[in-house]
Amino acid sequence: MQIYLPIAEMSINIFLLLLMGGGVGFLSGMFGVGGGFLMTPLLIFVGIPPAVAVATEANQITAASVSGALAHGRRGGIDYKMGFVLIIGGAVGSYFGSMLFTILKATGQVDLMISLAYVLFLGAIGGMMFVESVRSILRNRRGDNPPVGRRPRTWVDALPLKMRFRASKMYVSVLLPLAIGGLVGVLAAIMGVGGGFIMVPAMIYLLNMPIKVVIGTSLFQITFVTAAVTFLHSVNTQTVDVMLALILLIGAVIGAQIGARFGIKLKGEQLRILLAILVLAVCGKMAVDLVSMPDEIYSVSQTGKIH
Amino acid sequence: MRVLSHITRLLISCICGLAFTQQVLAERMVTDLSSHVIEITSKFSGTELLIFGAIERAITKSGGGQNIVVEGIDYDIIVVVQSERNDMIIRRKEMIGPIWANKGHKTLKSVQGYYAVTTTRPLDQILSREQSKLLGAAIDQIKINFDEPVSEIEERAYREGFIRNMKAKKLYSQQEGTISVLDDILFRAILAFPANMPVGNYQVDVHLVRDGEVILSEQSSLEVGKIGLERIIYSFAHDHPAFYGIVAIIVALFAGWLGGFLTNRMGK
Repeated sequence: MQIYLPIAEMSINIFLLLLMGGGVGFLSGMFGVGGGFLMTPLLIFVGIPPAVAVATEANQITAASVSGALAHGRRGGIDYKMGFVLIIGGAVGSYFGSMLFTILKATGQVDLMISLAYVLFLGAIGGMMFVESVRSILRNRRGDNPPVGRRPRTWVDALPLKMRFRASKMYVSVLLPLAIGGLVGVLAAIMGVGGGFIMVPAMIYLLNMPIKVVIGTSLFQITFVTAAVTFLHSVNTQTVDVMLALILLIGAVIGAQIGARFGIKLKGEQLRILLAILVLAVCGKMAVDLVSMPDEIYSVSQTGKIH
Repeated sequence: MRVLSHITRLLISCICGLAFTQQVLAERMVTDLSSHVIEITSKFSGTELLIFGAIERAITKSGGGQNIVVEGIDYDIIVVVQSERNDMIIRRKEMIGPIWANKGHKTLKSVQGYYAVTTTRPLDQILSREQSKLLGAAIDQIKINFDEPVSEIEERAYREGFIRNMKAKKLYSQQEGTISVLDDILFRAILAFPANMPVGNYQVDVHLVRDGEVILSEQSSLEVGKIGLERIIYSFAHDHPAFYGIVAIIVALFAGWLGGFLTNRMGK
């Protein structure tokens, strides 16, 4: 059954969209990741205009993260003070990201920027995840235990403007969470991702936050920042397709349930290697598309208001 | 005196008019569309439009002595459907290092977003060269104006790129020999519209051709618009973008919460 998407202005099979939502939802349930970094490229692969894919995916992530954030909030799994600092950074970052996005859209370079950003980030993240999980598997084989305890003092502790975060039992500079939030905001605006794949490791390894508040605080921030991105893209480029976002969400909700049950049966390292391979595959496909000769070098679009 | 001269003038013009109709063959053509409105709804995946009509040969009432319909010369029909004109941007990818990226671009002034021509026979067999130039119906004859001076080679490259693009999107088409004419009286043409057809007013021209010349043209209009939910969402997003953004957020928050709520219920 075909469905006409009002903002993307194209007709697409609704079951394909549900399947994509379900598939990515399945993976995100299994791996415990947001899935934006898989969904946006998939949408582009099936022909949704890249700008619409990014903006709509931000809207979908708002929906996908809110119930998780609420659940963590009820359990006391959110450091609200830290969350607000990350949101302020995220708001500033998404504002600049959206500005960049608007300018590049007007000059016809937004698709290229989205692809380049994906190749770069997916390549880096996938590569690191792959190496890390292979290492930890080897370490387990040898029977070594990873070192435990608090990390040693680093440059992080030398930063000024320290603030106390009671829920995390931390006393760190606000500059670092502001910067992390800002980076995530930029990525959300230009790539249509929640940014959890950057924020969670940064919170654990850089900020040294306790694990029990990391996921909740990250979801809390993502809900607000992707909402801000949705708003900015709606105003600047009119690229948020609510209909598309809702269809994807339905698939994702169902898929995530099934994925979560599968995920329990697999070991952590195996999961991470699988995810790393998946990420690298998407990255590879995008890289090949960038360097291979296109079938048609001309493309036509309506003139926007901005020249 | 003045009244008399008026009457004579009237009489003369009547006689002349009669003589005129008797000398020249006056075909009449009646055309219509299967629909004058195309509505883009959520299930829209492109549509077809039937353009049909009848050719009526005038046979004079005085007994057919003046009937000069030439046997053996068939009628031909040319149907042109085009959308409103808009400015468009065409971009060209070039290699920058190892990457293909948009480099050149031109703004095209006032071009049709949709253009379809369909005929009874190949255009060059229907029309004389002058007539063909005059009518300008073929896709190759579409006027494309650039907003800035462009060299001849560039102009041709961009022009061809533009038409190739529009043809690939099924927004431009030229089908020769697809109109069927029944008994030299009835004709029907079917045109296909893709899902991505632009909205707005369309112009449908039907030209009746005989012996290499266009003898009659009929014009009708067609309106293409988004309706229902599609229209609401589209115009809401473009007319009140800030409000649309806020609603999009609220819808997402509610849908996400509902999804979580339902899964919890099912889990228990």
